[in-house]
Amino acid sequence: MTVSPVLCVENLVKTYAGSRKAPPVEAVRGLSFSVEAGEFFGLLGPNGAGKSTTLGCITTLVRLTGGRILVDGVDVGKRPIEARRRIAVVPQVRNLDRDLSVREVLTYHGRYFGLPAEEREARADRLLREMQVADKADAKPLTLSGGMQQRVMIARALIHDPKVLLLDEPTTGLDPQARRQLWDTLRELHARGLTVILTTHYMEEADRLCQRLAIVDHGRILNLDTPASLKKSLPGGHILDLWARSEAPLLPRLSKLPGVLRTETLADASGADVERLRLFVDARDGLLDRVLHEVREGGGEVRHISLTQPSLEDVYIHLTGRELRE
Amino acid sequence: MTAFLALLRRDLSVAGRNAGPLLLATLTQPVLVVLVFGNILPRLHLVADEFRTVMVPGLMSITMLMAGVQGVLMPLSTDLSGSREVDERLLAPISVLGVAFEKVVAGAIHAGTAGMLALPAMMLLMHRVTGVDVHPRYELLLPLVVLCGLLSAAFGLTLGTQVQPRFSGLLFAVVLGPLMLFGCAYYPWTGLSVLGLFQYVFLLNPLVFMSEAMRMAVTPDVPHMPLPLMLGGLLGFTALFTMLGARSFEKRTIL
Repeated sequence: MTVSPVLCVENLVKTYAGSRKAPPVEAVRGLSFSVEAGEFFGLLGPNGAGKSTTLGCITTLVRLTGGRILVDGVDVGKRPIEARRRIAVVPQVRNLDRDLSVREVLTYHGRYFGLPAEEREARADRLLREMQVADKADAKPLTLSGGMQQRVMIARALIHDPKVLLLDEPTTGLDPQARRQLWDTLRELHARGLTVILTTHYMEEADRLCQRLAIVDHGRILNLDTPASLKKSLPGGHILDLWARSEAPLLPRLSKLPGVLRTETLADASGADVERLRLFVDARDGLLDRVLHEVREGGGEVRHISLTQPSLEDVYIHLTGRELRE
Repeated sequence: MTAFLALLRRDLSVAGRNAGPLLLATLTQPVLVVLVFGNILPRLHLVADEFRTVMVPGLMSITMLMAGVQGVLMPLSTDLSGSREVDERLLAPISVLGVAFEKVVAGAIHAGTAGMLALPAMMLLMHRVTGVDVHPRYELLLPLVVLCGLLSAAFGLTLGTQVQPRFSGLLFAVVLGPLMLFGCAYYPWTGLSVLGLFQYVFLLNPLVFMSEAMRMAVTPDVPHMPLPLMLGGLLGFTALFTMLGARSFEKRTIL
């Protein structure tokens, strides 16, 4: 059975127009991906990578500069109203209607989408229960905790029965308990067949939830695959961290060893006693021995050595670099 | 259309819940002005009797302008604030211009209601004062109130989308204040012929057409602007501000 993509993003370009004081910003520069129906998809990237802009374009709130987006076959740029019926968004900023009660937030949202009275009341009841906010139905949204507001926003998003649920950094600012609860909720929604797309810069979140991940930076996709394949994509597939004191610089000699595919200096070693190195290695037999041998040959001393499988964070840093953002 | 009506219903029901403060905000000004200029000053023989008749329609138009502008401006500043509450409404299955126009209609209902409440409130305050010549012609009043409401709200949409919320205090002092003073609220436009060609400079002020419209509908015996000019002004300014406001609303909301 072939599944058709429920979302197609083709060569998406978004440039925010500049002003007298600010130059134009190329937020997204030719981004393409597609998401199958029922998939849990993630956009992972640092601040300013273009994740939220991409989400904005999909949800019709940001005008496309170039490219095309199809949601369930509907061109978002040409038929935004039709597209909105098929998607739902949980934005990064909590934007619940502060003049309404929690229950009214849901029922009014249902009204906007033309749900008949009985149906919207029934759905509101069900979603309030499912999101565990039924006891807050008559409260004003701003009196709720961050985690609760987040769940009300999900309930609001689901009231018109969308095909795709998009969440923009949904767990930013939540405490660990609320975060885990939200993960469970999202997993359950996905298990019921909903297509879920989220942006995040939390590795753990991306790793645990997403079936496929696009790592995005500077408005482009750097890599797109399952979390497991992404981890395998690092040179060699293994990481050897080595802290050593040495008379002569270690890096040139270690990088010549067979099985060492790439090297990095972890911390600025100048003036420091100990060099901290990261080697991307293929973990062939005898490699550790040869590394230790090399260090001792140069009159050095190993302080710490570890051979690990790369984490998603290693892949992420490998692809997006170490420099600080913003 | 369903989404449009649902949005309108939401705005009206929220406004209904805040009816008390809203009424206070819109009726305080006309009631106090009537008290001073319609009751106290005439007793002191400091203003002419005719003034009381002239100011009633003028105060109605001011009330509507303020209610319309505030009715759109205040919610808009929340909508466009950091939390972007407007995004939820923009995700409804309705065009962005539809959302903007809904705001104008909601503001117009607010303005019209304020105007229609201001009239009896003023009459009640002056019911024992002689020389007031107010005879509302309701068949004219109702459609003109609708037009004035739309104009006020469209003006509010233009101001609300083009002026940053932190300057809204300045807005009232620098824009709305002068508009009210030169809006023919306290004197009929036809009387300005004494100013020569300057009379026509006043036509740049949308409030002039509102005041004259109310003058025609509420105090038919006072001379007023010819109907075609008045309707042209009301419709023209409404169209202009709706267009400007909707365009900048779209610019502010869809990035």
